[in-house]
Amino acid sequence: MATGETLIAVDRLTKQYGNVVALNDVSFAITDGITGILGENGAGKSTAIKILLGLLQPTSGSATILGHSASDSVAARARVGYMPEHDCLPSLVSAAEFLTHMAECSGLPPSMARTRAADTLRHVGLFEERYRAIGGYSTGMKQRVKLGQALVHDPTFVFLDEPTAGLDPAGREDMLALIRKTHREFGISVLFSSHLMADIERTCDRIIVLQGGRLVQSGEVQQFTKETETVFIEVDANREGLVAALEERGVVVTVDRSGLTIEGPDESVYDHVRDALVEAQAPLRRMAPRRRALTELFEHAGDDDARTGEAA
Amino acid sequence: MTTHTIGSAEPNAVRSGTVFDIGYQRYTDRREGRSRSRRAIFKDGFRIALGFGRGARAKILPWFFIGVLAVIGLVFAIVAGAANRLGGPGTAERANLPSHSDYYGIASIIVFVFAAVVAPELLCRDRRDGVINLYLVRPLTGSDYVTARWASFLVVMATAAWLPQVILFLGLSAGDPAPVAYLQAHWLDVPRFLAAGAAMAIYATTLAMLAASFTTRRAYAAVFLVGLFVITTPFTVGVADEVGGLAGQWISMFNLTNIPVHVNDVIFGDVSQITEDAPARKLGPMILVSWYFAWTILPAFILWWRYRRLSP
Repeated sequence: MATGETLIAVDRLTKQYGNVVALNDVSFAITDGITGILGENGAGKSTAIKILLGLLQPTSGSATILGHSASDSVAARARVGYMPEHDCLPSLVSAAEFLTHMAECSGLPPSMARTRAADTLRHVGLFEERYRAIGGYSTGMKQRVKLGQALVHDPTFVFLDEPTAGLDPAGREDMLALIRKTHREFGISVLFSSHLMADIERTCDRIIVLQGGRLVQSGEVQQFTKETETVFIEVDANREGLVAALEERGVVVTVDRSGLTIEGPDESVYDHVRDALVEAQAPLRRMAPRRRALTELFEHAGDDDARTGEAA
Repeated sequence: MTTHTIGSAEPNAVRSGTVFDIGYQRYTDRREGRSRSRRAIFKDGFRIALGFGRGARAKILPWFFIGVLAVIGLVFAIVAGAANRLGGPGTAERANLPSHSDYYGIASIIVFVFAAVVAPELLCRDRRDGVINLYLVRPLTGSDYVTARWASFLVVMATAAWLPQVILFLGLSAGDPAPVAYLQAHWLDVPRFLAAGAAMAIYATTLAMLAASFTTRRAYAAVFLVGLFVITTPFTVGVADEVGGLAGQWISMFNLTNIPVHVNDVIFGDVSQITEDAPARKLGPMILVSWYFAWTILPAFILWWRYRRLSP
């Protein structure tokens, strides 16, 4: 797969369930790499993924995946993997048997399917446990089986719907590392949906942000990170003086009960803060970089017009 | 897993080693696409129906029913064989002991209960566990899935239906004082019981799969089907007797247990003990066979249509 080639293209996609609009005129394109699709619960992430997989028909608009129309993508699905958010594993069979079966269902010959299943289970860290019935696995192990079945047939593109859901911090870290490794070492492109900004930030190259079924942003994660970064300042006294001194220097400050917040800081802001603190004689208690919470971010983004673009 | 064989560079030394490159890697071998997917679903359905690859509990019910059906065939063979040995050739026939044409009438309720109990395993569990979502994102449509599952269960049902008839045929041949003469006189029973068994298997498979397609609970589907077969028999018999005439004959047609047995009677050109008194018998072979096809083709279409809607 050539770098920069469009793997997924979505054009003015809308999906309605009765009066509920799950996706509203959404357009974006995805190229090689790890792309995060970020949004709160109900933002339309899973709906978008299901339309791309051909599991749902859009109300209007079009979606193509690996050059095929998503609504007629039976052949393309041999090169696509999907890890659903919800339970999708049989409890009575072993992981080895299940992955072998799933590889065959993706078109691999039985002997190859068996080998691939063992190799994939090694990749996701379940090699030793592969002959145990899946019903006896922990949540983390089940998530790994789900990832394994999505990768067992060596897809070109894999959809991961909330892959860290239900995992403890260590399990989450392992899962994110596995996703990064899957792209870095094997070149499999990933669309990774999450409502956790931190997961997306640590794993993805590009980001698509959905809110209430609308696309609010798409682009490089680095750029997005910069835009959403803030500096939080807490002083023991003369907060008003500090605010005035900062505003004199052209720094935009938001004040709340706990302290001051400066949005989208660049390097010069720290110099301004130092000078303002000296000028206002305000004793500094704490100064730390912070990230706007996802809800704040969406409130902020909702004020602007939806920006449509290419996540490339 | 890839293996690389390395030869020795030393002269006169025949040493070689194999490097096992284990772990996940890209797959470059052939992919067999949709036909392999269908075969995988078929194979899996067959294994589920017979409990292969599952624990002992999963094997109990299918093998119990297959065993009971086989034992009935064996008992018929032993009784007829003993009669022929003791009373001379043809004694069993003259005494009207149960034979090939009677078998499906007598065993039909066991065949239906077997279908009702085992068929839901092939469909309900996939929907309940969510595995169906993984199938439908592979190179496979909902129609492919349900057709493969139906075919796999049909093979199991046909085998279960034919096996006792084969035992009976072998038993009658071996038990006859003149086995060769018996084979010459009765060879036509083989295609007849194969056709009648296939008719029974197709009917039971289709109705059982259709019932299973409406629920994710295996027990509901099984109880509904068993109830349907058990209740319609006494109900239709009672009402048909009460009403009498042509209307009674048509009411008798709704005895679901008898529908494939009437076809069995048409195939053997004989009336089996269970349909002897059924008013529907007087409607004639054309109507009885057409009725059978209506009760097979319509449920098959509904089943296909329900799963077709799941596919893109």
